[in-house]
Amino acid sequence: MGDLRAERIRGFRQRNIRGPRSALTDYLASQNISARQIRANHEARLRAAAAAAASDQAAASSSTAQNVESTEAPEVPEAVEDDEDDAESSVATGTRQAATRKRKSAAAAAEKIKKSKSSKPRKSRRNASDDESDEDALERSAGPVPGQLENCEECHKRFTVTAYSRAGPEGGLLCPQCSMKLTKEENAARSASRKGKQKATAVPIRRERRKIQSLILDGQIGVKTLMTLCVETLANNIHLADDLGDLPLPAIDRISRQLSKRRLMGPITLEFFLRPQTQDVMIYDGGRLGSTDYMRIFQICSTLKTLKLRNAIQFKDEVMEYLIGRHIALDTFYISGANLLTEECWEKYLKTKGQSLRSLRVYFTDRYFGNRTVESLPSYCPSLKRLKICHNQAVNDEGLEHIAQLRELEHLGLRLVSQTQTTPYVNIAQKLGGQLRTLSIRDIPQVDDRLLDAIHDHCTRLVKLRITNSEVMTDAGFARLFMGWKNKPLQFIDLELCRYINPVNPRVNEHMIGFCSAGFRALMKHSGKHLKKLNIHGCRHISGEAFEDVFAAGKVYPELLDLEVSFCEEVTDLIVGLIFKSCPNLKKLNVFGCMKVKDVRVPRGKILVGVPNAVGMIIEGTED
Amino acid sequence: MATKNISPHKFVTLVSSDGYEFVVLREATLVSPAIKGMLDPKSQFSEARTGRCVFEEINGMVLEKVVEYFHYWYKNREREDVPDMEIPVELCLELLMAADYLGLDSKNTRSFVS
Repeated sequence: MGDLRAERIRGFRQRNIRGPRSALTDYLASQNISARQIRANHEARLRAAAAAAASDQAAASSSTAQNVESTEAPEVPEAVEDDEDDAESSVATGTRQAATRKRKSAAAAAEKIKKSKSSKPRKSRRNASDDESDEDALERSAGPVPGQLENCEECHKRFTVTAYSRAGPEGGLLCPQCSMKLTKEENAARSASRKGKQKATAVPIRRERRKIQSLILDGQIGVKTLMTLCVETLANNIHLADDLGDLPLPAIDRISRQLSKRRLMGPITLEFFLRPQTQDVMIYDGGRLGSTDYMRIFQICSTLKTLKLRNAIQFKDEVMEYLIGRHIALDTFYISGANLLTEECWEKYLKTKGQSLRSLRVYFTDRYFGNRTVESLPSYCPSLKRLKICHNQAVNDEGLEHIAQLRELEHLGLRLVSQTQTTPYVNIAQKLGGQLRTLSIRDIPQVDDRLLDAIHDHCTRLVKLRITNSEVMTDAGFARLFMGWKNKPLQFIDLELCRYINPVNPRVNEHMIGFCSAGFRALMKHSGKHLKKLNIHGCRHISGEAFEDVFAAGKVYPELLDLEVSFCEEVTDLIVGLIFKSCPNLKKLNVFGCMKVKDVRVPRGKILVGVPNAVGMIIEGTED
Repeated sequence: MATKNISPHKFVTLVSSDGYEFVVLREATLVSPAIKGMLDPKSQFSEARTGRCVFEEINGMVLEKVVEYFHYWYKNREREDVPDMEIPVELCLELLMAADYLGLDSKNTRSFVS
């Protein structure tokens, strides 16, 4: 190949006078393609073909034994190469080689046969004198012409020669597969010899570091549990499995999660989770399952009680009809992303199967599962204890009114797309307050303090409270909620983004709108003892003094595991230190956007997430 | 450790269903809440007195891997960058059962480490 390029350069030098070059010529030149060479190659081929025809005639007339046997065999060119020493071989050698190309033409000339023989590049290179003519040089370079078909030297397969075709060790050309193999081998050999052991180990270490960071973000620090190791190995080799056997439910759930994470949950892997006696089916990514796959679940698992499906796009009316037709009475139904299920179908399902339902969670629907469906819940599902409607575009204030009629409801989670008003929520708190254990309401910018007062007055058994994105609730309202509340200390509180929004003057909050210092103090006084998780993300008007008071030396929040104070601007290094001291069991502290946190000592076993420095997203403590 | 004062043995013996015995560092086995419970001197289980745990559900091959995991955990428990332990594919499911039985799950281990 090197010779080829040299020839091209020489060719360019000879062209002294040049006109303006077209873009095409430039492009072709940049790709090492020259029209001149293509023409030369073409002529060379014509000549070779002519020679072949001539030799055919000669062969026919002379009828020597060797000629007869060689005409068909494709390996002949290599045989010719082997005896390369007799370069000045007879006309017969040339004819043999040419004959294999099977090209026919009329003309014949002895000297042209010699030239065609020189189209074997390596052989002629050995013998070529320096003062060979340009024509000879061009012809020689023409050996393997781009676009021409050639047999691979390694595997003898026929392939199309391109500008990238590589020469093999024997001088012939290699097909793309073989040349790729050769390149790989060469690279491997080169890196092994040049870099030695040191570099070879350096690469995995760097990758290791990234992997460790990624694992920490997934919540995995230090030694993996045996369960995790097994589940990962299993997911890596799931194609070898034909049955999972009698595994306990937590293990099955872990496997299902891992397979879904790796996007391996398809029709074949689904089979592992379906057995006649299965009561729980949990699929975390049903994106690759079709309607028939979902029907298979109901075909096989006749005693199904719990069904959890995420991304169940193909869970359509026909699947629901099938479920309605089977003797399956689900008590937990969790479905996400099934927005092809029509309102009528939901109604029909709830009417026939709603009696047994204790938990219904519906995520990501657009046109269906609207007010009418919610309206039907109290009559069709009298024993419903848990209801969650998230990312729902059809339910609005009107539908909310009916939730208050659910007599048994203990856990309520709502995240509606439409703007809702305060009254229906107040109504829910009044009617169900005495029994609710979970109240989670997200994205309610227009809901005001009246809801907080209603919760204060009526809710007495709450364990988990979430109110997010309220733009009008006030600090005084929050303080009233937590002060003197009959409810036991809560375990989970999430008041994310309950804050005053004013783009002109964001830091001035005259009327103390949002969750601020007074509310925070009251909250920690009321629930601090048993609080496990607290999220006050974006409650930016909580003052530094409030934080310092709440986490002051001597105060202990023994059960707090997870604290999120991102975008609370007053959080400083001192406050983070106080938090670590007063929360002995804290696992994770999020401080994204707390720009006053700069250099904190993190105790061993605790994770600080989101410090704005170069150390990384997450710092795991090393201090004892 | 408190257990050392009461039970003089630094090592415990784990016995598989087919009679193979593995002598393991006591502290290393404590990663498993199940074994920890068995060996708890307050529990009055025979295992706590003899330092010998017999697992009728776990065969020798699987128990060998479990013991290997105990050592792997013990060796790496203070480290952050831990290379994954190799799990033989053919033992994977049985090992998963054993892991569940011994409580080698994320929740349990996490609480132990802290």
